[in-house]
Amino acid sequence: MSDWEPKIVAFLCNWCSYGAADLAGVSRLQYPPNIRVIRIPCTGRMSPKFALSALRNGADGVWVSG
Amino acid sequence: MLLSNLLEYMGIERNRLHMSWVSSAEATKFIDVVTEVTEAVRALGPNKYFIKDQAKVA
Amino acid sequence: MGDRRATYKRYAQAIPGAFAIQKVDKAPCRLACPAGLNVQGYVQMVKEGKYKEALELIMEDLPLPGVLGRVCPHGCEDACRRCEVDQPLAIRDLKRLAADQFDAREIEIECAPERPEKVAIIGSGPAGLSAAYQLARRGVKSVIYEALSQAGGMLRVGIPDHRLPPEILDQEIEVITNLGVEIKVNTPLGPDLTVDDLFDQGYKAVYLAVGAHKGIGLNIPGEKAKGVRQGVEWLRQVNLDGSAPLGKRVAIIGGGNVAIDVARSAVRLGAESVQVIYRRTRAEMPAWEEEIQAAEAEGVEFVYLTAPQEILVDNGKVDGLRCIRMDLGGADSSGRRRPIPLPGSEIDLDVDMVVPAIGQRPDLSAIEAVSGLEFTRWSTADVDPVTFATGRPGLFAGGDLQSGPWVAIGAIAAGKEAAESIERYLDNADLAAGREPREYGAPVYRPIPADAVVTARAKMPELALAEREGNFREVELGYAAAEGQAEAGRCINCAYCCECYQCVEVCGAGAVTLETHAQERELVDLQVGSVILAPGFTPYDPSGLDFYGFDEHPNVITSMQFERLLSASGPTEGHVVRPSDHKEPQRIAWFQCVGSRDQNRCNNSYCSSVCCMYAIKEAVIAKEHAGDGLDCAIFYMDMRTYGKEFERYYEGAKQQGIRFLRSKVHTIDPVPGSDDLEVRYVNEDGSLASEVFDLIVLSVGLETNPEVVALAQSMGVGVTDGNFCQTDTFAPVTTTREGIFVCGAFQGPKDIPTAVVDASAAAAASGELLSLARNTETRTAEVVPETSVIGQRPRVGVFVCRCGINIAGVVDVPAVRDYAATLPFVEYVNDNMYSCSQDTQEEMTALIKEKGLNRVVVAACTPKTHEPLFQETLLNAGLNKYLFEMVNIRNQDSWVHKNNPEIATGKAKDLVRMAIDKVILKEALAETELNVTQAALVVGGGIAGMTASLSLARQGYPTHLVERTDRLGGQALSLFRTWKGELIQHQLAELVAEVKAEPKVTVHLNTELTAVDGFVGNFNTTLTNGTGEETIEHGVTLMATGAHELVPSEYAYGEDDRIVTSLELDRRLRADDDTVKNLATAVFIQCVGSREPERPYCSRVCCTHAIENALALRERNPEANIYILNRDIRTYGERELIYTKAREAGIIFIRFDVGHKPSISAADGKITVRVTDHILGRPVEIETDLLSLSAAVVPYADEQLAQFYKLPLNADGFFVERHAKLGPSEFATDGVFLCGLAHYPKSIDESISQGKAAASRAVTLLAQERIFTSGEVAQVDPMLCSSCGVCVSVCPYSAPSFIEADARMFAGKATINAALCKGCGLCVASCRSGAIHHKGFDNNQIFAMIDAI
Repeated sequence: MSDWEPKIVAFLCNWCSYGAADLAGVSRLQYPPNIRVIRIPCTGRMSPKFALSALRNGADGVWVSG
Repeated sequence: MLLSNLLEYMGIERNRLHMSWVSSAEATKFIDVVTEVTEAVRALGPNKYFIKDQAKVA
Repeated sequence: MGDRRATYKRYAQAIPGAFAIQKVDKAPCRLACPAGLNVQGYVQMVKEGKYKEALELIMEDLPLPGVLGRVCPHGCEDACRRCEVDQPLAIRDLKRLAADQFDAREIEIECAPERPEKVAIIGSGPAGLSAAYQLARRGVKSVIYEALSQAGGMLRVGIPDHRLPPEILDQEIEVITNLGVEIKVNTPLGPDLTVDDLFDQGYKAVYLAVGAHKGIGLNIPGEKAKGVRQGVEWLRQVNLDGSAPLGKRVAIIGGGNVAIDVARSAVRLGAESVQVIYRRTRAEMPAWEEEIQAAEAEGVEFVYLTAPQEILVDNGKVDGLRCIRMDLGGADSSGRRRPIPLPGSEIDLDVDMVVPAIGQRPDLSAIEAVSGLEFTRWSTADVDPVTFATGRPGLFAGGDLQSGPWVAIGAIAAGKEAAESIERYLDNADLAAGREPREYGAPVYRPIPADAVVTARAKMPELALAEREGNFREVELGYAAAEGQAEAGRCINCAYCCECYQCVEVCGAGAVTLETHAQERELVDLQVGSVILAPGFTPYDPSGLDFYGFDEHPNVITSMQFERLLSASGPTEGHVVRPSDHKEPQRIAWFQCVGSRDQNRCNNSYCSSVCCMYAIKEAVIAKEHAGDGLDCAIFYMDMRTYGKEFERYYEGAKQQGIRFLRSKVHTIDPVPGSDDLEVRYVNEDGSLASEVFDLIVLSVGLETNPEVVALAQSMGVGVTDGNFCQTDTFAPVTTTREGIFVCGAFQGPKDIPTAVVDASAAAAASGELLSLARNTETRTAEVVPETSVIGQRPRVGVFVCRCGINIAGVVDVPAVRDYAATLPFVEYVNDNMYSCSQDTQEEMTALIKEKGLNRVVVAACTPKTHEPLFQETLLNAGLNKYLFEMVNIRNQDSWVHKNNPEIATGKAKDLVRMAIDKVILKEALAETELNVTQAALVVGGGIAGMTASLSLARQGYPTHLVERTDRLGGQALSLFRTWKGELIQHQLAELVAEVKAEPKVTVHLNTELTAVDGFVGNFNTTLTNGTGEETIEHGVTLMATGAHELVPSEYAYGEDDRIVTSLELDRRLRADDDTVKNLATAVFIQCVGSREPERPYCSRVCCTHAIENALALRERNPEANIYILNRDIRTYGERELIYTKAREAGIIFIRFDVGHKPSISAADGKITVRVTDHILGRPVEIETDLLSLSAAVVPYADEQLAQFYKLPLNADGFFVERHAKLGPSEFATDGVFLCGLAHYPKSIDESISQGKAAASRAVTLLAQERIFTSGEVAQVDPMLCSSCGVCVSVCPYSAPSFIEADARMFAGKATINAALCKGCGLCVASCRSGAIHHKGFDNNQIFAMIDAI
């Protein structure tokens, strides 16, 4: 268990959080490497099915950010 | 909210699902939220419910 | 607070997002060096311990680093700006250190391919060696003829071994002979070998560098005696043979280095006494101070102010020296004081050897007769000073032969120049072109750092005195590495970039090259039809203003500096700390109007327009960063939040606890024992107060840079007293010179939205002038036909980018690449150094074709910047651009997980896998192509609408102007005068006449819109004028529907006809009737209906308007009492000048609070105004003959019209633009644009600017003629659609609709108009039937990615 790391699926809005994530990179800010980003055109695109599917596929967490 | 309730009903911890709003200029807020989400999920430990193998039974 | 190198990135978000190199003039050391050695460069390399690199830089110009590192008189050190801190850098010794640490013979010297021509060089001194070296590098082999038995010239025979060990010289001569240069010793020019012989032997060119080896005589009696030896000649013998005849008691005449060299050599060879006789004092001696000291230490005696008169001879041998004492008189031509003999002061010195060392000259005996070679009267060769060419083609001369005795580095320089000339001569090229010496006027250098610590210059260890006796072992022993590196660390990098070219070496992308470094300003002539000036502003520099203590207190900073502290990419990475001790401040104060509204301290009488708002913003953000505990206080005169949504922001800031103190600060004192600052100020009621702050931010104003003023003058463009561009209200972006337009802060101090409006307006103004030239200088790209991939098995190509070390430095790129190769459907994998480079793009195009790839994944940076580039690559390879997926392994992986390379590699693999699984499911998408109807509709016939219509028409587009009243002109029809004094009706009438006369504008009066159909590029709008309907086809729509004046419901409006609104007063002023004359008193009340809870915005124009009207009343009623009751006076920009003028004209301003508004009684024919005067603190009662109410500007908020085009209205009823700052004149709805009061209250010039701006934005669309919409849109599968209508109701863009009930197929089902769809996916997520597909982001594609985690 000690080396277990959570896997989190992040659904990021192309115009907002995805841009912030890019800027965090440009600014060389460091953060935990646990998220796997799926770029979506807008949080409006987010369907509850995506969250369920992610958890069903073994993700430990789901993060939706606009 | 509905989804959170549904998850709870399914036995999945509410804290596995996070929502936030970060503008494209808020790099620092972004990392704050990433860190927060990661820590929250880490605290819950591995997801045990509803993953595919068990879902087969259902 | 942060250090920055010569290569730097301006800030994280800079565009282009690339690094820059900061350069100024070449460093003074480099300019001082005769050979132009890159001193700063090699010093920096030594500092880094990169000795090889240091030598490489040195050996660009100098093949003898260890030699010159010992003997150079280092003129560079005299020029060193480190002197301004302590002592000059020990540059020469650092050069030697480099040569000590790395063998110069090991440096690889690049040579051009060998040429057939050979060159003869006469003399193997520094000039000859340097010429041979530089020729060899140019591919020209040479043979050096040396008269003496050993090579080296004066370096060999003029400098004793204790200063320059001969092995060092030998080694470094090898550097040159290793290049194939041959040296023939014992081969003097003379009867057996003449210059003609050399040419006859086939040498194409001859370089004479015989030096100056002949000593100059004293010209006194007794010089022929035995025991008199010329210094240079004696040294030559010592150097060649190891010793020379020597007396017991030696007198040396002269004060140069030769004299000292002779003296120190004589001591070593065992002379009993050695005296140096010099006619001036030590201060004037040309020999180096350290040499003099060393000689003294070794026992040499110096006799100053003494000159020889006669050598006493006994029996043909020297028997003494008669000297005379000297005194110093006035300065001579060399600037040194002239020695004057003191009569009767003769003394005789007891010596048996006299060595004159007062100078040398060339020995011309062997070259006197050379044809074409002339000599000067100083017996030096007379050659062209730039090319060193003699009168004979192919014959060149240089070094001491040409310059007379000079420093070795001068001869090195001469040799290099000769090589250049000889190469040009061999090439038959112009010898002189481009070689004129460059003038440096007042050089610009990096300022001496204020924090430079005084550090002593390092001194080399020396051989102990006792160990020097009787030998010629080297005295100076050279630095140890650490010591030398520390010494090099004292360099202050005068030129910023040291031109070490390490960046060129390391840049894998080849983005920085030697050519980049050589870039200079160049003059380019451009043929243009119009010029737009957008030179911006310079923040006011408060350094000179002792009042704020900006220079003294580190914790007083400017607002610009504070902005950097707030920035994530700033010096503290967005962490707000104060400069003095990096403590997080608890209390921050902002002082407004620093460098604005101030004629006494800074001569900027205007308001800078933006500072109030930015100060509030900074305070709000600072609180966001630091938390609620942070105390923010803003000291101000008037709070000017007059922009759209600004007043709300101001009120919000108050809610957040930011304190606003209307007061004057009179003293700032440091708090003893801390870095805090005590601020003493006067409250509005006159009471004194004091507070302590950790940090003070000066809200500095905007100024026009003096260079911009000079530019304007040189262009013939007029400026105002405040140095802003001179413009008229009705032509706000037109300068005083035809064809030149202006925008931004040079037009007047302004914020971003206004500047962006201006920019578009200037573009339109220019476009009106140049519309005939449209599309004449554009180029079109070639289109590659698209190949169909339908039915093909996916063949995925994966390209993983290294991005130099940006990705590859963290992520194991080959591992990711190899991993990708194992995944299904992947046909080809590769990794690239820079995937975005031109050649990689071409390579990818070729690979896609060659391997038959039909899906492409690029794992690189971010799709937000680079997706279009790679899509272009697909298009070039004939693939549909949507068959592509980008993986972000830089911004979202390597850059953010620098310390976890393994995890970052794992993450990259995951992301690549997800993208491959998605791209397999991607399909070719079609983009809808639309023709843009080449016509415009402008709604609203006010100033903005008319301006926009005219601009569109003048740019060639038929325009329909719809006005619902029976007249063009809008609100301006009521207005009297602008703040600049222009009469509005006159100008308005002209504008209306122009619109009516413009053939491309169709005016529809008394007309309203009844229906709108269509979308961007293809609108169909139905108009009605009461008598009939008409449908117009147009590609774009401009909303200029305006606003109106509020009808006041307070201040007894309507109870007395002397109580009027601003516009009513304007009309009376225009009529100039009795109601505005013979007044004893007039009162204006501001903010009537504005800045109130039900209308929480500032109407922007009223303060200026009221003041202008007050001045108009003052003209008619010189004796009247005129009052303006206000909450803040918001005369932004140069409008401030009329506020000043009004106060000078005796107009009285009384401030009131919104909680204590004035009260009015209108009874018995009297109007009485009661208001509490804040300064007096008590109520004032004014009986007035006229009361003008500055009523709010209220938008029409026509919801039906807004609905027609799906346009949002804000809470106040104004239209909401696409982006507050970057898109102020357009809507989020494509094809619809916005201008005038419907956007927000604004003055006439601002309305005109925005009218032009909206036209400008519209033309960018019209001019495309055809547009493509994105392929990534939603599409309904009508078979699954249940006609529930959710998509129709949720879509913010009205893209979905129901198919007509009488349609042949799928009646009543939903359909989505691809031209309107923005691809947000809202309908897809909400479709309960799963009938809507999102092309490019379809459910199966997203599920595939989820499955692949």
